[in-house]
Formats: sequence, C-alpha cells, structure tokens
Amino acid sequence: MVDSYRPLSLKEALDLRADTGAMPFAGGTDLMVRYRYESGAIPDYPRPVMFVNQLDDLRKIRRIDHGLSIGAAVTMTEVLDHDDVPEILKEALLTIAAPGLRNTATIAGNICNASPAGDSICALYALDAGVKLQSPGGERIEPIYQFITGPGKIDLHADEILTEIIIPEDHSTIHLFKKVGTRRANALSKLTLSAVARISDSRIDEIRIAIGAVAPTVVRSLELEKRMEGRSLKEVALEAEDILRDYDALVQPIDDQRSTAVYRKRVAMNLVRHFLLGVVLQQKGA
Amino acid sequence: MNKKISTSIKRVDAGIKTGGAARYIGDIPFDGLLYGKIVRSSRARATIKSVSVPALPEGYYYIDAKDIPSGGRNRIEMIKDDWPVFADEQVRFIGETLGLLVGPDRKELNRLRDEVQVEYEDLTPVFSIEESEALKGGPIHGEDNTYADYRLKKGDPDAAFAKAARVIEDTVRTGFQEHIYMEPQGVVARTEDDGKLGIFFSGQCPFYVRHAVSATMGVPEDQVRVQQAVTGGAFGGKEHYPDVISTPLAVAARKIGKPIGLFFDRVEDISFTPKRHPSVTRFKTALDEEGNILGMDIDVRIDAGAYESCSMVVLQRAIFSVNSVYNIPNVKIRGRAFATNNVPSDAYRGFGAPQGLFAIEAHMSHLARAIKVDELKLKQQYLLKQGDVTVTNGRIHEEVKLPEIIQRIDEMSGYSKKLKEYTPGSWKGVGVSLFNHGSGFTGNGEQEIIKGVVKMRKRADGLVDLLVSNVEMGQGLQTTFRKIAAMVLELPVDSVVYNDPNTDLVPDSGPTCASRSIAVVGYLVQEAAKKLKDRWKESDIVEVRQQYEPPEGLIPWDQANLQGDAYPSYGWGANVIEVEVDPLTYEVTTKGIWAVHDVGVAIDEKVVEGQVDGGIIQALGYGSLEKLEVKEGRFQQKTMADYTIPTTMDFPKIKSALVDNPYEYGPFGAKGAGELVFDGAAAAFADAVQMAINGDVKQIPVTPEYIMEVREDGNN
Amino acid sequence: MATINFSVNGTSHAIDTDPLRRLLDILREDLKLTGVKEGCGEGECGACSVLKNGILVNSCMIPIGTCEGTEIITPEGLRETVQGKAIIDAYGESGAVQCGFCTPGMMMATEALLRKNPSPSEGEAREALSGNLCRCTGYDMIIDGVLKAAERGKGLW
Ligand SMILES: Cc1cc2nc3c(=O)[nH]c(=O)nc-3n(C[C@@H](O)[C@@H](O)[C@H](O)COP(=O)(O)OP(=O)(O)OC[C@H]3O[C@@H](n4cnc5c(N)ncnc54)[C@H](O)[C@@H]3O)c2cc1C
Ligand code: FES
Ligand code: FES
Repeated sequence: MVDSYRPLSLKEALDLRADTGAMPFAGGTDLMVRYRYESGAIPDYPRPVMFVNQLDDLRKIRRIDHGLSIGAAVTMTEVLDHDDVPEILKEALLTIAAPGLRNTATIAGNICNASPAGDSICALYALDAGVKLQSPGGERIEPIYQFITGPGKIDLHADEILTEIIIPEDHSTIHLFKKVGTRRANALSKLTLSAVARISDSRIDEIRIAIGAVAPTVVRSLELEKRMEGRSLKEVALEAEDILRDYDALVQPIDDQRSTAVYRKRVAMNLVRHFLLGVVLQQKGA
Repeated sequence: MNKKISTSIKRVDAGIKTGGAARYIGDIPFDGLLYGKIVRSSRARATIKSVSVPALPEGYYYIDAKDIPSGGRNRIEMIKDDWPVFADEQVRFIGETLGLLVGPDRKELNRLRDEVQVEYEDLTPVFSIEESEALKGGPIHGEDNTYADYRLKKGDPDAAFAKAARVIEDTVRTGFQEHIYMEPQGVVARTEDDGKLGIFFSGQCPFYVRHAVSATMGVPEDQVRVQQAVTGGAFGGKEHYPDVISTPLAVAARKIGKPIGLFFDRVEDISFTPKRHPSVTRFKTALDEEGNILGMDIDVRIDAGAYESCSMVVLQRAIFSVNSVYNIPNVKIRGRAFATNNVPSDAYRGFGAPQGLFAIEAHMSHLARAIKVDELKLKQQYLLKQGDVTVTNGRIHEEVKLPEIIQRIDEMSGYSKKLKEYTPGSWKGVGVSLFNHGSGFTGNGEQEIIKGVVKMRKRADGLVDLLVSNVEMGQGLQTTFRKIAAMVLELPVDSVVYNDPNTDLVPDSGPTCASRSIAVVGYLVQEAAKKLKDRWKESDIVEVRQQYEPPEGLIPWDQANLQGDAYPSYGWGANVIEVEVDPLTYEVTTKGIWAVHDVGVAIDEKVVEGQVDGGIIQALGYGSLEKLEVKEGRFQQKTMADYTIPTTMDFPKIKSALVDNPYEYGPFGAKGAGELVFDGAAAAFADAVQMAINGDVKQIPVTPEYIMEVREDGNN
Repeated sequence: MATINFSVNGTSHAIDTDPLRRLLDILREDLKLTGVKEGCGEGECGACSVLKNGILVNSCMIPIGTCEGTEIITPEGLRETVQGKAIIDAYGESGAVQCGFCTPGMMMATEALLRKNPSPSEGEAREALSGNLCRCTGYDMIIDGVLKAAERGKGLW
C-alpha cells in the first residue's frame, strides 16, 4: 500500500514532490490503467501518489505574450470549451477517447505519459508547443520535442512538476489533423498526422509536420521544415518528391496489436504526401 | 402480419434495468462471500511436473482435482466431456484451470496466484489449423487432430466436375470473435440450508450447469439447485462456459462450506474464455461453358481449440450452411474440426453458420467477378425454393420468400441503381448478401437430446406462472414469452409471472440458444396456454405440461450419416451495405445499412427490430473491426481498448423491414430470429468493399490493413 | 487511510478508507449502489458512468481521494428525479434496453448530454454516448431514446 497526498497549493505540491518523490496524478486515466490490478483491487502504484487536479494554480487557461498557457490540471473538455485554443489542438482532442474520459484526462498527463500514440502530443508538436516545469528551486521551459525523449520517457527531474503547456500564437493559414484510429470513436491511434502551414504570396512562411505512432517519439523534422520555409510553392514543388523521400526515411513504424508496420508506413506517407501536394502546393498562386 | 401479437409493448424489464435496480450476479449480496481466483496454466502444451502453492494465510484455500468428492469426476460434462475441471497431468492451452484459490481479499488472492510455482515439461504446441493438420508435435487429439470429420454429398459431384469447362478455386477465411457480453462471466456457489449445492450464475442454460455440477460432484441432479441471475448479455459465450467455472467453484464451496464468488475481470475474460471458431473454407466450383454452376467441392476447416466441448455441432451447422440459400445441384462437402492449443472455441451467436454463410457469399461474389456477371443475378439463378433438396438431402418445406425479400431490399436500398452508378474501384461500393438460418437444434437434437418441457400454472390469485428454463439475457424473452401466453389466455401481459429460472422450480425446457427459444419453446408456451385455457374453469389451481414433439412431415434425421431434415424451418434474409473507402487511409465509412428478414411472424416488432439492429452491428464488428490475433497461444488484443467492438459512431442507422411468412409450428407463426440477424452483414460489408477497391476480399475482418494489401498489392 | 467527505445522491458521507480505492468500488461495495456497473475497469465501456459535480466521469478511473467535497450522482439517484424518469420512460418506449448492463451508464451519459445540450441532433447524441459501449442493441434505439427524452422532457434540462 502506498501513501497518497492531496496538496492544496502548488508550493505544497512542489515541496511534497521534492520530499517524497510522489507521482503527480492528474486525471489518472493513464495511471489507473497502467497500475490496474484486476477488478476490486486497489491499483498497484510503485510510489506514493499526489493528486494535482484540485490545485487552482494549475487549473487556468491564460493568454500570455505571443501565446496561450494551459494549466497542467485543466481537463481536455475545458480546453475544448475554450475559445482561444488553436483549432488543430481541438480537433486532436476531439479524437481522444470519449466525453466522460475527456472530462478527467489532461493534456499534461498525455504529454507526461509520452506514448508515441498520444494524440494531443502530435498536435502540440505541430504547434511548436513548450512545457513549463517547476521545482521548489525554480522553473524552466522546454520545447515539447525535447521534453519527450522516448516512448514513456520524459525529461522530468525528480523534484519537478509540469505546470503549464505553452502554445505560441498560431498564425497558420492551413492545417490538417488526421487520426487513423482503431475505430471511429473511443479509439487509440494507429497513426496520426498533424500539420500546419502559413502561406502568403505563394510562399511558405512556416510549415510544421508531425507524425505520431510511427516511431519511438512523434516524428518532426526541423531540417525538412527549414528546407521548405521561406521558399515559393513553385520551388518546393520541384523538390517535393525529394522531401517526401526524406520523410519516408524518418517513418519507422512497428507491428503491434493495433496495426502493422507496412500499413502505418504507407498511410503515414499517403497523408504527408496529401498534405504537401494536395493541400499546401494547391494553395492559390502555386 | 398478425398485428395483435406483433404490435410492440413496453419491455417489461426496461425500467428496472435502466434505473440500475436489476440485480446481476455481482450485485446480489451474499453473507460472508469469499472470492475465488483461478490459477491458470502459463503453457500451451506441457506436462505438469509439479505445482507448489505458497503458504496460505488463515482463511485462504487452494482447491484442485484432489478435492473432487469420491463418486465425482474431474470432467466437465458438456456435450462432450473431454475438458477437465482441473488440468490433470497435461495442460492444453494457456489459461487452463490448474486450481482455485479462495479467500476474502481479492488483491491477496492475486498475489498468492502469482506465487504459485508450476514446473512444466514443454511439448510442441500448435496454434493454427495448418499446424494441427500437419500434426506438428504429434497429435493432441486422436490420431489426426480432428474432433470431427464429416462428409456430405448431394447429387453427383464427380460427374459434374468431369464435364466442367472450368473450375474456379477460392479460399475464404474468418477470424476469432470475442463475445464482449458487457457483463463479464460470474458465478456464486454455496451450500444451501437444505444441504443442496446452490449455484447462482450469469448465463443461458441453467440445466446445463446443473448437469455439469452434479456430474463433477457425483451427486444426483436434484441435489444441485441453479438460479439464473439477470444476465448482462451472453451471445453463446454463456452457453457452456458457465459449466467450466461453476464446476471447480462447486468443489470449493462444498469443501470450504462458505459462499464463494468467481467474477471475471475483463482482461481475464477476453484472454481465457472461448471465442467463435476461426475457419478456412476452400471451394472448387465447376462451371460449364456458359458459366452455369455444375457443382461444388467444399472443404471446411475450423479451429476448435484445446478441447472439443461442442465443436462438432458447430461444425455441423457450418457445413449445413455452406450452401446457404442456394440449390447447387451437385455438391460434396468435407468438414473438419481441428484440435489446437488455442483457447477452446465454443458457441457464439450463429454457431458455425456465420462462418459457412460468409464463405459461400464471398465465393459467389468472387465467381460473379471471375465470370463477369451481375452477382445478384448469379445468386438468383440458384435460389432454394419450396421442395428443393438441401445439402443433407432433406427438403425445404416452407415457402421461400426470397424473391420478395430481394425485391423489397432493392427498393429500400437502391442497390441495383447504385450498382450501375458506381464504377468498381472508385472507392465507393454497394454489397449484398443473402442468407438463411435453421431454427432450433440441429438434426434430431430437439426430440432426442433436449425433449423440452414447459409448464404453466393457474394460481389461486388468478395470476399464471409460466415455468420454463429459458432465460432472459437481453433478447426480450421476458416480454415475448409473456405476450404469447397472455395473448392465448386473453389476459393482461402482467398477469403472467415468469421469473429468472431456478432449476428446482421449472421443468427443463432446454437451453437458451440456437434460436430455439421462440421457435421451439415459444410454441410449447403457446400450446400449454391453449391447454390451460381449455381447463381454466376446472379449479382454482390448474397446472398443464407441454412436451416437444417434432413437426409432422419431416424427413427423419440420420445422425450417423447427417442425412435428412437438419432443421424443420428457416429464417431468411438479405442485407445491403453501402460504403466509401478512404483512398489515403483505406478506412471504410459505412454509408447505409439495409436489412429485410423473414422470421415468420414477429412476436413484438420492437423486440425483433432490436435483434436486427444489435445482430447487424455485432456482425459488422466481426466483419470489419474485431481483429483478434493469436500469437503463441495468447490473444494479442486482450483489453477492450485493443479488441474494438463498434461504438455509437461506427455505423449509421439501420433501415430494416420484415416479410410475413407464418410458420405452422411456431407460436403465432414465429420462427427464430436471434441468430439469423447476425448472418449476413459481414458478407455484405466485404462485398461492398470489394466493389469499392475492385479486388477480391477473401477474409474477415476486412481491416484497413487488409484493404490496403488487396488494393495495392492485389493479393489475389 | 483518510476520511473522505462527499455526497452521493444528496446524502453526505464521511468514509474512512484508502484514498486510492476506486470510486466504483466505494459505490458498489461500501454504499451498495450496484446500479453502477463494471464492464471493463479501464475507462473504455462507460458502464460505470456517474456524475461528479454534474460532470460525466467513469467511476472506475477515479480514486476516491479525488472526490473530497464533491457531489456524486449514480443511477440510483438519477432515477428518482423527473429528468431521470423522463429518460427511463423514453428508453422503455424506444426499445433502448436489452440485457441492460450498459443501460444505467447510458442513462448517466444521456443526462450529462441533456444538461449541456437539451435538444441534441442525432449526431450529437451519438458523440455524447460514444464512450458507452453496448453489445446488444446496435445503439439505434438508444439514440432514439435520447432524442425522445429530449423531446418529451423539453424544459426539464
Ligand atoms: C479509455 C481510454 C481511452 C484513451 N484514448 C486515448 C486517445 O484516443 N488518445 C490519446 O492520446 N490518449 C488516450 N488515452 C490516454 C489519455 O487518456 C491519457 O494519456 C491522458 O491524457 C492522461 O492524462 P491524465 O490527466 O489522466 O494523466 P494521469 O494518468 O494522471 O498521468 C499520466 C502520467 O503523467 C504524469 N503526470 C500527470 N500530470 C503531471 C504533472 N503535472 N507533472 C508531471 N507529471 C504529470 C503522471 O505521473 C503519469 O505518469 C486513453 C485512455 C483511456 C483510459
Ligand atoms: S468499467 Fe469503467 S469504463 Fe468500463
Ligand atoms: S443492452 Fe446489453 S450491453 Fe447494452
């Protein structure tokens, strides 16, 4: 049997975390499943548990300079109900589980769980989001693609709590979110594509493409994005096949109980191809 | 349509179920209840060298074969008795019961279970039909690993093949399917005040449980009292499996002297309870120059798993269904049920028919594509008619209303129109399936094995007790049985009392399965009610009894050679499904679902429509979503997250209709409906996808992964 | 161990227990509210649905420790309200109930939907109930039941 704590302020929570190493417990929708011990028995947590969803400090969605901050205890439903949240993130959240689960699950939990199939994560990569990590000694902000280091692995220090998700202002003119799930609702991802682009005067000002569940972490290539940014659609069109080939090399899926490597690979590339050739390069003036 | 009986009434059990007042097995309070936990084999095929149980805390027990009372047997007496209560000497599948831990705390039981040490000597297991047929590791069962090997012949197939202009070969596969009754398995056993063994359970067949428990315990059947609890879905999954868990539990309850409950966790339920038999069906079809079908040579193989239980009967229905609604003049069929080291396969809605029907529908559509004729026209050329000969050389005795059914569904769905509109391979398609389902037990099961009895009693208070062993499990019997009795007796429906059966109080009217409850038992209810009505004035209390008698005019059944009338009557149906396939992801969007059925006469239209809706969606799960793979004897999808049944969002509203066709020996003309409605949707779905991608679909589930293969690699 | 103060169907409770026990088990075992069902124990099926401060949640996913000061409504509570009765009647008339194991959870999800959106479209009803699995009905009649409840119970939500 392990201890559980219910701190009433962020400071108390940070101290508890530092002192006891307790696991933050937000919505619990991953923790309750991961440590499930068959019906009727208490889950088998390896370490003390610290509830965080009652912390008012973590329950706010705020506009900040050049972006939006989402508190770590804000539920997915609350994010969905908020006007300032970028559309692509909402689209991603709407594909996660079902209303009842979204009423408790958090984006912070989705990030910290760091599943390659985490659907909000994929959208957050495309939004170039960051996470704020606080400890009794201070705080830091990391881009999500650095914070998540592998399947189920994050760069969270033993005394830290993720407190906010920071989403830069979204200037994209087009976006595409597509989750290929095991069924139409209440489904886990076989793969996901989140892509945004800002196009003006037939030029790609910004583009970000993130592909989920096809590699140990979400696939996003800053290098390939740079290769397209600041260039005209015409120029990119000439190199498109090359770029697609490079994406193809990054997509390294596996077989598992939900799908096959062959399928994931082909469909992921169909979707990237569709976004690039069928959406981006079809913008007017191409 | 018989308006009076068909007009729907409010389901009698709707209110208490919705509000949460209905008591399922896990909801019933039992004083001092202990919990049981099964200790399971971790090997698929091995000899047990030793089992060492950790020191048990006070109040905990380990029960195994040694605790079976003298006079009892370490066998589960189902249709066959090859499945042991506790594995003895050998284990044949992962999850097989070795023993039972009993105690008050479930977490402690889990801990103790994980500490049981078993020493095995591994043998070479087989996990597929092919490996079983090749006798990998030596036979598991008999000499050739077949539990059953049947051959049927109609007409002169050899002559047909001799004069064939062309022979088309085709192999069709179907996968495992898990029932996912929403309520997992659960049983409670205790010694009653009168010394009898009391079994409370979630399931379909109280008398099966009574028989199995009494045989294991070595006590007369009347020393076991079985009470069904409100049952949260079954679909065949609670036909025999409750016997598998109530037998060891009975041994424990007798020995320990306290009530014990065994309630499955969902993961345990998916991992270790029986599934629908996977099948591989190979067709060779002889055609003449004009593309007429001269004959078929069909080989059906099913994976029966580690123990036979009822697989031979499932196989019989599969091979009797493999010509479906078609009168193919010359046919030979071989059917084999193979032993493997997978979890034993067992009853699942349709009982072999869905496998056979999918296979023949897929094959007919492949034939049509191969010889470039309209699929529905090809099928219509061979439709069975009244008087036609079946594959068991029986007859179709009833009027076959398929032409009317087909016309109706075409009008409703616009099938023919859409077929012309959409080009094959344009990612849009429509598909059609035709099917039938024999009501009641196969062959002479009803008169030779079941001999169902129904009793009805007028009580002093003017109410009427309806005494049957068939159970409500969601299909609506509480409503329909009462309606039949009430309508005959001309009483209000709520004056008929029909409780969840208790084997001490009701006669054995047989199990709740095989679409027999309405078609067979419902008829007994009607006849009993007529008798009671005639004798109503005799006295305050009048009891009548009605026993099954076979309808007249049937061709007698020869069980040794599987010849004669396999079923006295059939339900008939057609489905049309329209789809769109996403060219980027190969995901299928179902745009429309249409269904027309002949179930004789509906005893309550709403109840039948509920069966239609539920059966079709379950079948579409089977046909499209419900992938269940087995790897080294373990199911890979063992949670409800990974084994995906349809949600509210997966399929659109179903449009269905009924065609009236009263059956003389059914109550108010009704025939079976519960399984028929499952039989066609997978094939219609596959057919629609086939058109959308212009490639032969030869297996279910038709997953996006498979669609990609067929479309991109043309794996034909 | 801790004392958790919360209310269930309008009755206050102070329960001494391990805060990590599931709300589902507290409701079913300690409070004998067996209208709450366990179909999966992993957030997939919705049979364990209850309202927590008016919001639909899966009680198998909730440790009782997170329920301090909250109000829980279970099917036993909802069925006594006019809204609950309206849903029960509409379900009954629509043929929404077969084995019934999913149905109490469906009723809770329906209540949660109608509180947010008293006149949902068919699509909205399907979305709202997408976390509640049913193996018997194929859903059509349940969705009919939701729409019928909304129509008949106009003004109740
Ligand atoms: C039925 C079901 C369906 C699902 N469907 C989907 C789906 O479609 N797509 C999808 O992406 N996911 C899905 N999930 C998983 C999804 O619910 C979770 O990933 C969820 O987002 C986690 O949030 P939570 O608040 O519940 O996390 P919790 O379970 O509370 O925590 C998850 C992890 O994050 C850590 N953590 C939480 N908060 C913090 C914090 N503030 N600081 C540091 N660490 C923290 C925890 O310690 C834990 O390791 C599903 C889960 C279930 C049960
Ligand atoms: S039991 Fe909670 S969602 Fe299934
Ligand atoms: S009515 Fe049986 S699961 Fe829904």
